[in-house]
Amino acid sequence: MKAKATISAEEDYYAVLGLPSSTTPEEVKRAYRDLARQHHPDVSGGDAETFRKVQEAYEVLHDPVLRQAYDRQRVARGLGREVPLECALTLSAAQLVALDTPQMLYALLDLHPRVPDLKQRLPLNLALVIDRSTSMQGPRIGNVKLAVSNLLEVLLEHDRLAIIAFSDHAEVVAESTPVREIARLRAAVASLTTGGGTEILQGLRAGLEQVRRFADKGTNAHVVVLTDGRTYGDEEACLLEAKHAQSEAIGISTLGIGDDWNDLFLDALARHGGGVCQYISSPAQLQELLLEHIRDLSHVSVNRLTLNVNLPPWVQLQGVFRAAPFMEALGVMPGRAFSLGQVGQESLSLLLELVVHQPDAGERRVARLDFEGIAGEDPITIRRDVNVQFVAEAAGPVEAPGRLLNTLSRLSIFRLQERAWQALERGDVKQATHLLESAATRLFEIGHRELGQVALVEAERVQRGVEPTSRGRKQVRYGTRGLTRG
Amino acid sequence: MTEQVDGIVCPSCQQLNLPGTLFCLQCGTYLPSGGPLRTEQFPDQHLQRAKPRSGDDAQAEQQVLGVEVEILRTHRKVLLSADSEILVGRLDAAHRVFPELDLTSDSGLEHGISRRHARLYTREGKWYIEDLDSTNGTYVNDERLTAYLPYSFDDGDTLTLGTLRLRVNLHVDARESRPW
Repeated sequence: MKAKATISAEEDYYAVLGLPSSTTPEEVKRAYRDLARQHHPDVSGGDAETFRKVQEAYEVLHDPVLRQAYDRQRVARGLGREVPLECALTLSAAQLVALDTPQMLYALLDLHPRVPDLKQRLPLNLALVIDRSTSMQGPRIGNVKLAVSNLLEVLLEHDRLAIIAFSDHAEVVAESTPVREIARLRAAVASLTTGGGTEILQGLRAGLEQVRRFADKGTNAHVVVLTDGRTYGDEEACLLEAKHAQSEAIGISTLGIGDDWNDLFLDALARHGGGVCQYISSPAQLQELLLEHIRDLSHVSVNRLTLNVNLPPWVQLQGVFRAAPFMEALGVMPGRAFSLGQVGQESLSLLLELVVHQPDAGERRVARLDFEGIAGEDPITIRRDVNVQFVAEAAGPVEAPGRLLNTLSRLSIFRLQERAWQALERGDVKQATHLLESAATRLFEIGHRELGQVALVEAERVQRGVEPTSRGRKQVRYGTRGLTRG
Repeated sequence: MTEQVDGIVCPSCQQLNLPGTLFCLQCGTYLPSGGPLRTEQFPDQHLQRAKPRSGDDAQAEQQVLGVEVEILRTHRKVLLSADSEILVGRLDAAHRVFPELDLTSDSGLEHGISRRHARLYTREGKWYIEDLDSTNGTYVNDERLTAYLPYSFDDGDTLTLGTLRLRVNLHVDARESRPW
């Protein structure tokens, strides 16, 4: 029988085990084993009192319920500030055979936001930048109006909203207005009309300007661009604006309506702006996605999150990917801070591919990961070391953890199709066809038959030398990037 | 450090991947198993080899209509037509393997059934089975077949694929069991 552990008020259990408060259950176990072995009263140099403390710390920290309770007490005692992100690390192998040749190690990092209190959320400082070009005429603009009206209902009184309509030029339909003056915003939405071409830059600038006026640390500033078309010639300038905005902690997200918008550009714009790009394939989806998007923004737990990967010389970073909430290749360079944008309600998962070249046995640090960000108004830092035991000989076949395999299998599909479009861009039809077919096969394999079918149809078109359909391409791109969701 | 490992050659596309790679960089194939689920080889295979048999006796005149295969473990019975050859194995859409007799649902993987394990066909009124160089072999009445050599089998014979035992029934009443 096991006695229920009690939580002692004086001890800092994390300090007893020598672990940060963001530590994982595995690390708790490992630290406990090492310390218990060292301090066991039967061992020479052992000490019953220390041993008891170590045991007590372990009993509390390895039990999720007790640990949570203890964490709360600890915060209340001022011992530790609540880090709004929990960071869990999963490796493809905790043990590697020391090899004379390089080998691959995968590291999956899950950053789980601790759910912030709804009432305490930061006020939103939003600008909606709405495409009013001729192509938006009819049901599209109608749906946008409806979606924005519904959005007004869910925003809180102290949130701010600006509405900008753009075609060849931008018009500030509603200057940044507190949502409690809802009538003014409603009237502005109703007045939206269509006409003209699509030039995102003007609209984006106007939106950013509105948000900047009221930007301060205590708000969550974000510009949402809604468009159904392509912008020509101003892409570079837009990306530059997005980068500036990101450095001022203003996020940018993009929503593409229908099938004719430039997915690569809107992806890039959102990436530079630290936000998300979403594909709206049907009018009805717009309402849902816009609401969901704003809800995510209002639950931001960490802003301006950056990652810095530090590696010893015998480790190379082959690739870094965002695995969830949506998949994306990230251009992370070792030793340089990379901006990850915001973390909302959903966990952020990152996958690192590390090429490890270590011929000598022993426990080694393969990578050090430093996260920095802003939670509320306070800066936070999280440091995670990736440690691996190198052994002379394999103890036996090792099964990679299921979650990692699952993530990797989906990520590999996402990469296959991304490489297919790149091959097509280069004019390599054969390769593009092959990659799309492979992606389709894998999609069938994991039970995504519809998406697999779409990929197959596009593969056939490509093989025949016909351009892929804009719709099919977007369905495949945005469908596969969401494969790790739910 | 015991042996030199250069990498994992992808069974699908021959791309050389670093050791430890889980999904082929080139084509996305799951590498540790060479495919979605690879047939594992059983440790011991010391059963007697079968001698080739060809049927020139009894039932030669009989019109062969089909074969009923009973999977003894699950008692599943499958009626297969003699019109074309029958591939026996495990379905794997990714590798375009679509056996006529798919043993996946009979715990085929656990019983060491390969994706392309064996084929059955008729010639001049006789049934033949040919092992397709399967990982764990094919047996007729507990005698192991040599890969790619056809063996004839008779009504009531036991075919063992890996460790999964099948009984064949050749006296199939065409009207009763082929309602279509």
